[in-house]
Amino acid sequence: MSDNYLIGGPVTSAVINTFIEKMAKETASGGHSIFLGQVRADEINGKIVMAIEYSAYESMVKAEADKIIETVLAEYDDVKSVRIIHSTGEVRAGEISLAILVSACHRQQAMQACTKTVELIKERLPVWKKEIFEDESHAWRENK
Amino acid sequence: MEVKVLFFGVLAEVTGTAIKYYLNVNNMSDLRFRISDDFPEIVHYNYRIAINNQIIDGEPPLKSGDEVAFLPPFAGG
Repeated sequence: MSDNYLIGGPVTSAVINTFIEKMAKETASGGHSIFLGQVRADEINGKIVMAIEYSAYESMVKAEADKIIETVLAEYDDVKSVRIIHSTGEVRAGEISLAILVSACHRQQAMQACTKTVELIKERLPVWKKEIFEDESHAWRENK
Repeated sequence: MEVKVLFFGVLAEVTGTAIKYYLNVNNMSDLRFRISDDFPEIVHYNYRIAINNQIIDGEPPLKSGDEVAFLPPFAGG
C-alpha cells in the first residue's frame, strides 16, 4: 500500500530507480516483474498524438489502488509486494505514464501478477486521458 | 442537505464544471434531475456515478456531506 499512487508529469527513470532500490531490500524475492506504460505517438485521422494529459479522481485512485494490490496479493501467494505509480498532467509521447513493479519469490507469479495488475488498473483506476495533437486540438480516449 | 458533485474527464469539459455544491437535495433521483436540468448535454455521454469513492448501482440514499462523482469510462495506463 502507498499513500500516493500518483505523480505529476512523467514517471521518470529516477522514480523507477527508487522503486527498484526498495525492491532490492526485499531479499526473500527472487524475481521482479516491471511493466512500464508509455505514451504512443498514434496517428488518428491524419494527426499525430504529441502528448496525453491525464486527470484523476485522487481519493478514489487511492481507494481503488489499495484494493487492486490487496486483490493481487490474495490471488498470488508467492508475491511479496506490488507497487503502482501513475502520471497525472501532461506526459509527452515516448515518456512513461505508468509503472508497475511486482516482486515475488519466483518469476512465474511475478510475471502473472504484474499482468493482472495492469488489467485491473485499466479496468478500475479512475483516470482519464486527453490526447493532445500537433495542432493543439484534443480528443478524449477511453480504455477498450 | 448539501452534497458535493464532481465531474471528471470529458464531463468536466462539457459541463465547464469540476465541482458544484447542491443544497436541499432530497435523494439521488432528485440530484440526477437537477444535474440533467443544469447540464442537459451530459445525456449524450456514458458515465457511472460514485458516492464517497464507491461506484453505485441504482439509487442509494444520500446524506449531507456526501461526495457524488460523475465518472466517464476510465482510461488509465
